[in-house]
Amino acid sequence: MHLERLWLTDFRSYRHAEFAPAPQGITVVTGANGEGKTNLLEAIGYLATLRSLRGNPSESLIRTGDGAERAVVRMEGRREARRIVVEAEISATGRSRAQVNGQALRRVRDLLGALQVTVFTPEDLALVKGGPQGRRQYLDDLLVALHPRHDATIAEVERVLKQRTALLKSAGWQAAAGRGLAPDVESTLEVWDAKLAAAGDALARARAGLAEALGLRAADAYRRVASGVAHRGRDVVSLHYETSWQGSLAEALRAARGEDLRRGVSTVGPHRDDLRLQIGSTPARTHASQGEQRSLALALRLAGHHLVAERIGSEPVLLLDDIFSELDASRAEALLACLPSGQAIITTAGHLPVEAVVAAWARIEDGKLLA
Amino acid sequence: MYAAAVQDLIDELGRLPGIGPKSAQRIAFHLLRLPSHDALRLAEAIRVVKERVSWCRRCFNIAEGPPAGEAGAAGDAGRPPAIECDICRDERRDPTVVCVVEEPRDVVAVEKTREFHGRYHVLQGAISPIDGIGPDNLRIRELLARLEVEGVKEVILCTNPNIEGDATALYLASLLKPLPLKVTRIASGLPVGGDLEYADELTLGRALEGRRELVD
Repeated sequence: MHLERLWLTDFRSYRHAEFAPAPQGITVVTGANGEGKTNLLEAIGYLATLRSLRGNPSESLIRTGDGAERAVVRMEGRREARRIVVEAEISATGRSRAQVNGQALRRVRDLLGALQVTVFTPEDLALVKGGPQGRRQYLDDLLVALHPRHDATIAEVERVLKQRTALLKSAGWQAAAGRGLAPDVESTLEVWDAKLAAAGDALARARAGLAEALGLRAADAYRRVASGVAHRGRDVVSLHYETSWQGSLAEALRAARGEDLRRGVSTVGPHRDDLRLQIGSTPARTHASQGEQRSLALALRLAGHHLVAERIGSEPVLLLDDIFSELDASRAEALLACLPSGQAIITTAGHLPVEAVVAAWARIEDGKLLA
Repeated sequence: MYAAAVQDLIDELGRLPGIGPKSAQRIAFHLLRLPSHDALRLAEAIRVVKERVSWCRRCFNIAEGPPAGEAGAAGDAGRPPAIECDICRDERRDPTVVCVVEEPRDVVAVEKTREFHGRYHVLQGAISPIDGIGPDNLRIRELLARLEVEGVKEVILCTNPNIEGDATALYLASLLKPLPLKVTRIASGLPVGGDLEYADELTLGRALEGRRELVD
């Protein structure tokens, strides 16, 4: 799939902007830091995921100043033979709205799946180096890209966890005040546990299946990204989804109940799981060099990209946010060499490997996009 | 900024659900511009509703009684009289089936179907620890107290098909399980007249789960 044209209204730094990347190959967006290069990618990312790729709340995507109340992002493009037009309106006060091919959607979330992107950012290093949260998010984003219905499972797990935690906290607070456990806390907890067990188990299964599907692709991508730089025995990576419980989640929740009540948090569940990454025979998070970690982060993104492309039969749009400033020459070259064949939009303040074959250029000056 | 009385009005309006500061201000100025008798009609309607309408003592639906001045003048002055709603007073309704809903507006929704001829029980909410609402804050004890006295044979759990409504239904189901009565949950699934193609996966999945045999 590819974007033909993108329009922004009151999005971040842009009052109005129009952007027409090359349908195939690399489009480079240049501009000094702080001019709004990433904002452009963020707009495209928003249409694909309904989230800010920098993790900002949606309201913050609306341009500040002049009292703008809504931001609009609209794109025209192609997905194989089909023409797609996606439009999303982010509102500060009222309801957000979305359209796909001129049809208003009942829920904004129904637009998930119309456009797919694969995003590379310098922060991806945290996928390997950081805490498990980022790795769970990586899996969940891919799950939604592959099957938009997983969005509902993820939302249900989050909601049930919030409710369960609120109950644990209030129960713990009562107990601390010397009032003991209210009799209905126990039975209400049963209910939330049942719901968490069902939704949590479904999510963990989906993530574990995904991790397995990603495994070989990540290993393959890693070999290519790290080719020439990896030491002997250090070019093999493996992925393994690790649940925070053994056996059935329902039983684990029951077993953890005392502890959960004492601490006021849910100690088992999909929100405590991790995607274990290994290079060679050692954990990548603690026993790998920064260079290896960077290669693995790239490999994870590439693996996700290939999997989505294969499963949905159309290649996601690649968004690379100033990625080459962080990579050494050999990794940059390797990444360029294994960049998939579709559309790629790259922002940069200057760094670009000499080998890059650029199909189109755009420049941002004084906050304005010049094609 | 504004005269104290105007600011008070804006503050009061702003406390209403769904009304933000901007809307509160707009409504306040609209009221200021209205002729006295038009504006006071609203005040009067609020006063009358607070005087005459209260909760049905049986099912906790909305119930309207005679004006407070006439009934219960002696004794419980100030408190609305203990009254029953139209549905609980209606002798033709089947007392053995009780439909449990979250809010009075859900009673209206079920009534519109004209398919249900039993009685109701309004919980006045759903279990939601985030909002500090546990079983104790709902009219659950009152429901249990009714069941034997009224000879109820079936309880239909008709709470919303969302996370909180489902949790409330699950909780009630486990509570009612030991009792000698039938407990059912309303089906959730596809809207009538819709296309399968446009149904979201979650709803369609639930509809499949709740499928039933056509030929027996």
